[in-house]
Amino acid sequence: MTPTISCDDLAVTLPGASGPVHILRGVTLAVEKAEFVSVLGTSGSGKTTLLRVLGGLLPASGGTVRCDDTAVSGPPEGVVTVFQDYAHSLLPWRTVRRNVALGIEAKMSKSERDDRVDEALTMVGLLDRAAEYPWRLSGGMQQRVQIARALATRPRVLLMDEPFGALDAMTKASLQDQLQQVQELTGTTVVFVTHDVEEAVYLSDRLVVLRGSPADIGLSLEIPLPRPRHQITTKERPDYLELRHRVYEALGHTVGEPARG
Amino acid sequence: MVSLTKRVNLLGGAVFVLAIGLWELLVRTSVLDFTYLPAPTAVAEGLGELFANGELLGALGHTLFAALSGWALAGLAGVAAGSVLGLVRPVWMYSMASLEALRALPIVAFVPVAVLLFGFSVQTEIMVAFYAALWPILLNTINGMRTEPRMLESGAVLRLSKAAVLWKIRLPGATAMIVVGLRLGLSVSLVLTLVAEMVGNPAGLGFLLVEKGQALQPGQMFAAVFVIGVTGIVLNGLVMGAARLAFRGQMASSGEAA
Amino acid sequence: MKRVKERGGTPVRGLLPLVLLLVAWEVVGDPMSPYFPPPSTWVDGLRPLVEGDKLLPAIGQTALTFLLGLSIATVVGAVVGTLVGASRPVDRALSPSLEFLRALPAASLVPVAALVLGYTTQMKLVVVVLPATWPILLTCRTARRTLSPVLLDTPRTLGLSSWHRATKILTPALTPAVLLGVRVAAPLALIITLLVEIVTRVDGLGAVLGAAQASFLSAQVYGLLTIAGVLGFLVNWIVTRAETAVSRRMRGTT
Repeated sequence: MTPTISCDDLAVTLPGASGPVHILRGVTLAVEKAEFVSVLGTSGSGKTTLLRVLGGLLPASGGTVRCDDTAVSGPPEGVVTVFQDYAHSLLPWRTVRRNVALGIEAKMSKSERDDRVDEALTMVGLLDRAAEYPWRLSGGMQQRVQIARALATRPRVLLMDEPFGALDAMTKASLQDQLQQVQELTGTTVVFVTHDVEEAVYLSDRLVVLRGSPADIGLSLEIPLPRPRHQITTKERPDYLELRHRVYEALGHTVGEPARG
Repeated sequence: MVSLTKRVNLLGGAVFVLAIGLWELLVRTSVLDFTYLPAPTAVAEGLGELFANGELLGALGHTLFAALSGWALAGLAGVAAGSVLGLVRPVWMYSMASLEALRALPIVAFVPVAVLLFGFSVQTEIMVAFYAALWPILLNTINGMRTEPRMLESGAVLRLSKAAVLWKIRLPGATAMIVVGLRLGLSVSLVLTLVAEMVGNPAGLGFLLVEKGQALQPGQMFAAVFVIGVTGIVLNGLVMGAARLAFRGQMASSGEAA
Repeated sequence: MKRVKERGGTPVRGLLPLVLLLVAWEVVGDPMSPYFPPPSTWVDGLRPLVEGDKLLPAIGQTALTFLLGLSIATVVGAVVGTLVGASRPVDRALSPSLEFLRALPAASLVPVAALVLGYTTQMKLVVVVLPATWPILLTCRTARRTLSPVLLDTPRTLGLSSWHRATKILTPALTPAVLLGVRVAAPLALIITLLVEIVTRVDGLGAVLGAAQASFLSAQVYGLLTIAGVLGFLVNWIVTRAETAVSRRMRGTT
């Protein structure tokens, strides 16, 4: 079976203040249909760069990036990136409804578009805030608007760049569960970048750890925890704790000091 | 109740009235003793006279026509040129420094040149108003076109066409800045139209001021100044109101909503 | 990290169109043209002024009015702005009157001031001071209003006198705001100075410019326009430099 989105022997070099900086080297990753894969790494490890290359926002310097057997050059059809800074990603002059419609309004009739927007807003539980401007909503709600905007296009792949990184712990937990439900409902493939180990283990089918500079994949770990998962019960399971332990260890080695947490 | 007293600044209004009363008193008691400083009542009288003999409305109409024509032309030219400069990097690179050099020319110094080129005509006024309003509109449009990069990426990720990115993201994103430019442009084009009327074309409110000064009619002269001030406030209010109506979301998101 | 290239000024190659325009003007322009005399004739146009020893005094008078006007505006704007910003009631009491005064275009004040005060240097000063005060007053008001209360309480707990509070806390805290206002006010003051001179013909570069236009000395008009441009550029350059230098020192960075 061909993977939905993949990269092979990927290298990325970016111009820096003092000469070119090698960010990624020899990264090979294949994400299957409906799989939830997290990319973990310390800050500055190149996670976001990897996601931007997969999303077609940044060209690869070496290796190949494919989405359903077509080489990626520019954002591919059906692949949508969700950014961490929701405040700058949403258009402040559009209401929530019109923000969610942004990606589909040129492609379908008005009634079809309205149905899609309603559907997406229902999935993230914001249908009753559709007429508001995004900057009047809390951070968590704004991020849900951005996710709804992506969902409205019925994407096959969601690329999420630390989407919950700027939110408080409570909001984060509820959005994690919502994301789980949405993914179960839609069968979307998700690549999820985060630096939060618990989040990665809790959400993923598989997680990979970026390591070194330039970074490559240091650890690839299946997460066979049963679904649906639960914030309390799943996180009390001995196998959850053991997986978590292994990931911390892998990360701890990369920074050269014992992991805490 | 609280919101009402908050909205209507009673104290401020009282101070304003008091200041005018004080002015009246000082002039009447000759504490303020300038030969040609009228008391507020004399100004009000002058306003009545100007209004009654039709001079005021004619002059106001002329000045508004010149200032608004120049401003509207500057709006078209400024937004168009500003968009190109803001969006096409090479054009910006190869012309911005020229624009900055030209901008350093004090605009009023351009008035004699305009009079030289266009004579004592309404064209002089319109040209001067155009040139004055062009700068704030142009520069604000250029700055407004510097869209937040993340918004552009959002457009790319949703696979919007280039035209859609321009129409749905860049232009609306620049709207609030462009409106600021238009407001600034309107007030400078009004001022420069007045200057052009004072030294160039003998017509409009600017000439009315000079004329009343030479005729030693300070009451009518101050009345004309008052009308000019009110005109500026009203025009600014109209532009803001129109912008809020037309671009509700943009104005609200930039904190300019009523 | 991504914003490194944002600043750093405009590239000099952007002057190319202006240079090309001037060169084309020089090459194609008719030296006898009453409207567009080519740049080389501008210098000749200025010669009578230089020989008659009129140009430098005119520039001097303009500079004097500008500097005096800006200085007075700075003091008035800073003091009034600080007072208004310190107290909400005072702010509310004065703001409608201030707003109305601000709405009066400087140009409309010129004939009025000329009538009341006569065609004098004082009249020029009054007209320059009024509009130049606003930017300074407004930035000062905002800065004073948003000043952290802790900053004001600190000297109180230290037992400083009110004089020391003003000189050691308030003045340094508000200086960047004053300078920011001056940066906006300075080009404005220069424009108004020229405006008064053009309209009233009382001394200075503007008066000479107006006179040149009235006698259709087009080459001289363009020459004087260039000089006014250089003055404008200098003023801009100096205040921008001063403002960034001082605010960098005051705030540590930026």
